[in-house]
Amino acid sequence: MSDALSRPTESNADAEGAEQHDTPLLQLVSVTKRFGGLAAVDDLSFSLQKGEILGVIGPNGAGKSTMVNVIGGSMTPTSGTILYQGHDITRLPPNRRTHLGIVRTFQVTQPFMGLDVRENVMVGAFFGQQGRNRTKARRVADEVLERVNLAHKATFKGDQLTIADRKRLEMARALATNPQLLLLDEVMAGLTATEVAQAVELIKQINKMGVTILVIEHIVRAIASASNRILVLHHGRRIAEDEPSQVLSDPKVIEAYLGERYAQKRTQEDVSVSSITLEDLQQSGEDR
Amino acid sequence: MASGTRTQTSSTIEAFPPGPKESREWLWSLILGLVILGLVATVPVFGDASDLHTWTLILMFAVLAQSWNFIGGFTGYSAFGNVAFFGIGAYTTGLMLLSNLPFWLGLIAGALVAGLFAFLLGLPVLRLRGHYFAIATLGIAEALHEFVAVRNVGGDGGLMSLPLPSLSSYVSFFYAFLGLSLLCLLITVFLTRSRFGYALVAIRESEQAAEALGVPTYRYKVGAFVLSAVPTALAGGLYAYWATGFDPDTVFNVGISVEMVLLTFLGGAGTILGPLLGAIAFEYASFQFQISGFSLHNTLLGLSIAIVTIFLPQGIVRLVQEFVRKPAPGSTRTNRLIEGVRRVRRFIAANGI
Repeated sequence: MSDALSRPTESNADAEGAEQHDTPLLQLVSVTKRFGGLAAVDDLSFSLQKGEILGVIGPNGAGKSTMVNVIGGSMTPTSGTILYQGHDITRLPPNRRTHLGIVRTFQVTQPFMGLDVRENVMVGAFFGQQGRNRTKARRVADEVLERVNLAHKATFKGDQLTIADRKRLEMARALATNPQLLLLDEVMAGLTATEVAQAVELIKQINKMGVTILVIEHIVRAIASASNRILVLHHGRRIAEDEPSQVLSDPKVIEAYLGERYAQKRTQEDVSVSSITLEDLQQSGEDR
Repeated sequence: MASGTRTQTSSTIEAFPPGPKESREWLWSLILGLVILGLVATVPVFGDASDLHTWTLILMFAVLAQSWNFIGGFTGYSAFGNVAFFGIGAYTTGLMLLSNLPFWLGLIAGALVAGLFAFLLGLPVLRLRGHYFAIATLGIAEALHEFVAVRNVGGDGGLMSLPLPSLSSYVSFFYAFLGLSLLCLLITVFLTRSRFGYALVAIRESEQAAEALGVPTYRYKVGAFVLSAVPTALAGGLYAYWATGFDPDTVFNVGISVEMVLLTFLGGAGTILGPLLGAIAFEYASFQFQISGFSLHNTLLGLSIAIVTIFLPQGIVRLVQEFVRKPAPGSTRTNRLIEGVRRVRRFIAANGI
């Protein structure tokens, strides 16, 4: 376990981050999103360097999905600023953000049922960073499908896919837009252990191609092995931000997830969250 | 680890044919559509005057359904007021004719006015969704109906009498509607193959996901609305001159809006052939009733709506598609037969029977 946790820290994040140090790829400056009296995201600030994989975890209702909505553009923050490559994108509509290279996937997969898998991906290629003609979009789609291991199901319709395939399709569509920043909203939820391992591998592969990734996940163990850095949200606030091994042994994090008493007990036993999450956190279910 | 995953999955790939080909469904649909229109084109040759009358109207309804399909079928926005464009086309053409302007100019003017109206109307109403959009469009169409009647547009109570057609005969109108239907067919085929059409289907299936993939959804929805308004207005203009006299109750009849929706769903919304087949099947049956003396048009309409929504919400074309859909690779002939039966059963079950 410690082996798996230490690996991401020696990745290319530092090397690539150094050259771009003054302008992070994405920067949130005290972003708040309120629904009535409730602040789903509360005064949140963090930045993301090019080439990084940032994991975001947090218990149900922590504001993770709202954060993705705000970065992706389907929600406008109540206050605060979002900078992308130094430019203010706080009020840009989602499709314009996609053209700039910010693409998200959806926690509840939304395949275009009327189109087959390849056509689904072609929509991403057609409307991504630059408009493409049909032949080119087809080629891009086939390349991407090959990469995510869906090529053999290119002519399947959305309703013929398994959960794992649907999640892959979400990723494929997003990749076809040629993103620089990929926001993955619980792409591993509902997958089997093998499928999770494959998904983690895929995320790393995509990252190696130069795509910066922000990944939201419930399965803490998976996210820990994939990310360079983990951000923990609780009640819309950042309660920890560090490399995975540090974050997962942080008493505050354990407390947020499992309650105070459990945290004390676990701290005494000196066991990190990562080893208890699978049994204990899976029951916390889907976060909407 | 990376190589491990790849080899593991590549062994499962072998079970499938490598690189499945794109579906040729659009090509077959196009050919079939051309054959159908080609057959219909022989009506003036073999049929009598009453056949010509019937099929002229069938083709008109085909055009109305085909153009409704752009907004209702492809984009998934249930526009219940598309008769407004029909009426606008009819009245614009009529007014132009009354001012002694040439017919073709009136047609084009009608299309332009309706297109502009759809654009301006689309800007606010396409921010609405679902029922709200349907009700808003319905309301606008009714308001227009009332306006034309109350303001006495074109005549007392909106009743308009036009000079008799200078077009050589009613056959010309028939072929004009046929040409319009052909144009709609070609546009539909183009939609199923083009970036624009993919965007519309994406909007229908998940507007949120479409937007996230970079589709400027609002602009495309307005585009689809205009695209659906223009052929409708052209049909309205043709109808105006063909009928020579009409009033607001005829060309702004909300029943026409309902029929556009019904015909499209009967045939298969969002498909290439659906609206054409739906129009031919339904309108032909309806005219047979009228000829035989029963005035059962509305009864038939109501009954069809009930039957379609209960038994065939996906339409004729999708049922056939389910029949011919490719079976799982590597299956034998017997398997295919069993699979075929299973599919129809599944289709029926999925439609709640």
